[in-house]
Amino acid sequence: MTIHPIATLALCTSLILPMPALAVARVGEPAPAFSATDTTGKTHALADYKGKYVVLEWVNPSCPFVVKHYSSGNMQSTQQQATGAGAVWLAVNSTAQSHHEYLEPAALGNWMNKQKASPSATLMDAAGSIGKAYGARTTPHMYIIDPQGTLIYAGAIDSKPSARIDDLAQASNYVKLGLSEAMAGKPLTTASTRAYGCSVKYE
Amino acid sequence: MRHLLLTLILAVPILFNAAAYATTVVTTPQVRAELLAHAPDGVAVGKPLWVGLQLQHQPHWHTYWKNPGDSGLPTTFEWSLPPGVVAGDIDWPAARALPFGPLVNYGYEGTVLLPVALTLPADFDASTVDLRLRADWLVCKESCIPESGEFTLSLPLGPAIGTHRAAFDSSLDARPRSLAGVESEARVVGGTLLTTVRGLPEGLVGRDAQFLPETEGLINHAAPIVQRWHEDAWEARIALSAQRSSSPALLSAVMLFDDRALRVQARVEGWDTPGTVAAPSAGAAVAALPDTAATGSAAHAVTGIGAALLLALFGGALLNLMPCVFPILSLKVLGFARHAGERRQLAIGGLAYGAGVVLSFLALAGALLGLRAAGAQLGWGFQLQEPGFIAALALLFTLIGLNLAGVFELRTVFPGSAAGWQLRHPAADAFLTGILAVAIASPCTAPFMGAALGFALTLPTTQTLLVFATLGTGLALPYLIASLVPSVARSLPRPGPWMARLRTLMAFPMFATVVWLLWVFGIQRGLDGVIGLLAVLVAVAFATWAWAQPGRSRRWLGLPALAVVVAAAAWSLPALRTGADPVSATGGVWAPWTAQAVSASTEAGRPVFVDFTAAWCVTCQLNKLTTLADPAVLADFDRADVTLLRADWTSRDPAISAELNRLGRGGVPVYALYPAADAPPQLLSELLTAGEIRSALATLKHKESP
Repeated sequence: MTIHPIATLALCTSLILPMPALAVARVGEPAPAFSATDTTGKTHALADYKGKYVVLEWVNPSCPFVVKHYSSGNMQSTQQQATGAGAVWLAVNSTAQSHHEYLEPAALGNWMNKQKASPSATLMDAAGSIGKAYGARTTPHMYIIDPQGTLIYAGAIDSKPSARIDDLAQASNYVKLGLSEAMAGKPLTTASTRAYGCSVKYE
Repeated sequence: MRHLLLTLILAVPILFNAAAYATTVVTTPQVRAELLAHAPDGVAVGKPLWVGLQLQHQPHWHTYWKNPGDSGLPTTFEWSLPPGVVAGDIDWPAARALPFGPLVNYGYEGTVLLPVALTLPADFDASTVDLRLRADWLVCKESCIPESGEFTLSLPLGPAIGTHRAAFDSSLDARPRSLAGVESEARVVGGTLLTTVRGLPEGLVGRDAQFLPETEGLINHAAPIVQRWHEDAWEARIALSAQRSSSPALLSAVMLFDDRALRVQARVEGWDTPGTVAAPSAGAAVAALPDTAATGSAAHAVTGIGAALLLALFGGALLNLMPCVFPILSLKVLGFARHAGERRQLAIGGLAYGAGVVLSFLALAGALLGLRAAGAQLGWGFQLQEPGFIAALALLFTLIGLNLAGVFELRTVFPGSAAGWQLRHPAADAFLTGILAVAIASPCTAPFMGAALGFALTLPTTQTLLVFATLGTGLALPYLIASLVPSVARSLPRPGPWMARLRTLMAFPMFATVVWLLWVFGIQRGLDGVIGLLAVLVAVAFATWAWAQPGRSRRWLGLPALAVVVAAAAWSLPALRTGADPVSATGGVWAPWTAQAVSASTEAGRPVFVDFTAAWCVTCQLNKLTTLADPAVLADFDRADVTLLRADWTSRDPAISAELNRLGRGGVPVYALYPAADAPPQLLSELLTAGEIRSALATLKHKESP
């Protein structure tokens, strides 16, 4: 086997890159506090929703995995079930302003309306601070926070990592499952999974 | 978004084309994908035959390895092949780390060939090997696009195919190598995986390596690895993911040096429950490595595949004596005396029976492995965690007991057909007897084989299946010997009226088994559940008796009896389905187990002893009533200030399953002594003795003294 110069370069580069500030949120521990403005300019803080279940959804309309869950209606039905049961649903977009997939607040709000999405609010996080505090790696990446402010779920929306809509039929939805278990006072069967999707487009 | 739509619009007609005309190339704006074949010695049975998908990425676009890292999806293949032709898994070339902002992915840029080995069956007789492949890949740069293609390829039998020799050679060369003599182990401490790889070749010693686990969602891919060399051993601190979603007992990974890739397999000790890993201290990643390497702690674990096979064979043979199996098999074997002259027929029956037993065990093991692969937290004995299965077994044993007691005969309940069929197809009958033997042995396999089978589940798939097949062989052995060796059949006592009495006698172990199953069911479903199940059993017993009556009585009694069964089932269904008021298995000095309770106690300086148990586990119950109830033992625990916890696995419990996996076990009983927060637990033997507990407690005291 010959030495591949590009591979060598990439490996060395990856080793000397500064260690990123990612993934501080842990399941079973207090969820990191945050405050951000939504697509209409209103400010939301996690602390405002103490006493309620909060679901965080990382969203980016340019990601085919996000499109899979919206065009199929899967994300909307999960949102309706959650908010119908009294939970607060915050969609978060951490796409950096410099990235070509960035959407202005109004455009993002329009897209969500067009999807007939029903989050409690859609938050702008162009600086990526909420995303990095939660260790959000993909779109979608889902989190559930309980009324005491403890992170009780982090990971994928469901059990079938794919971009195919056909796979939804056999997938079990970890957010629906986790919320209903938590609301019934049970510990979550699945509290941590590997999120799948596009990378979050951080700065 | 517009960019993505455009891409999709461009890609769709090309993909459509690919499906419409047999082709080997699919081109999208990001990737040119081509299905290639390589058969250097000709396309023939027994000769190496490779096919592979070559992906040529546009600059900066990439596709993913089997563990894609922080985001992305691995490329997947779905083959349609001629009957008997088998395609292996993708033999992944070593991937590279691809950083993206604060994230890291594992995948390929430039050109990569994903090879798959094909095996032709020995009797392959077509003139061409016709392949169809549906491949799905996710290709990403700044954006991600899921793409797929359908490929067809027809390889004529005979001539060699060497056109793409260079591509295949370099791809196969780029696979990570397993080197003989390289050993690896890992231990979890806080949020870090302390990994040691020993016996590395001289050329690599002293060089920096990357560590790419094949398991997804395990490590923090972006965190740098702190590593150092100690002679030929590589020692590294690898940061675990804060939101870790897996805790493999056996970790496969690729060690990547700049020009070589090694495949290593490490047994991992010291897992906490997923998602509740303790936060690593700020300086943990750069703290000095320990001087001595991590040492194993599973002192009593069955350690070799040879030992496991021997245990399985012996255990399987022993199963024949269990109360659930003995009555049926003894009667079958005694029946041989009648046919002692018909050697050929006996031998065929014996072999068919053996095949039934072994195949049933393999099917059971396959189901369990499949469910585990799909992410279910299950261990051996999982069948008995399902109250429905327990109820079905209770019903089956009641029916067998009634049959042995002479309440009904199969040929009266199913007139003519069953009995006649039995006579016409003796081999099929023996095969079905084999399957029945495994079904009725199942309440005994879990209790008595828990440890061996739990160990088997941590082995590679083929070895796991081998252990289960050996267990089946052991179970089939006495029957096989009796049917194959004529002198055994001849020396059996002659049939006579005593056999009818023996048959009735054998009904009682069956009913005793029902009592035991009802007790397990009671723990899962409570008193109401047991009463409901008993009502159903009585109704079913009445119905079988009624249908076994001759002539007109059967007409008058049969239908009302069926109505009674339906009524009993309807009446008891609510109680059978709800888990109301299950009887608690903990109490007294034993507190219920949680992972948090263990860490809270050890962090406070109190060691913890955990009894992993289940109502359906006979060995567990035995230990619980003897050693663990011994006042002297309890006093010793008290003196050593040990917290006693009991983890009850009678019903399914993912947290307990996860902890058992972490301890390298797939079943109960397990007795674990957790000496301190950062020390590995000590496992005691399954047949627990007071002496063993005392010596384990003595090591605690020894450590405490300065």
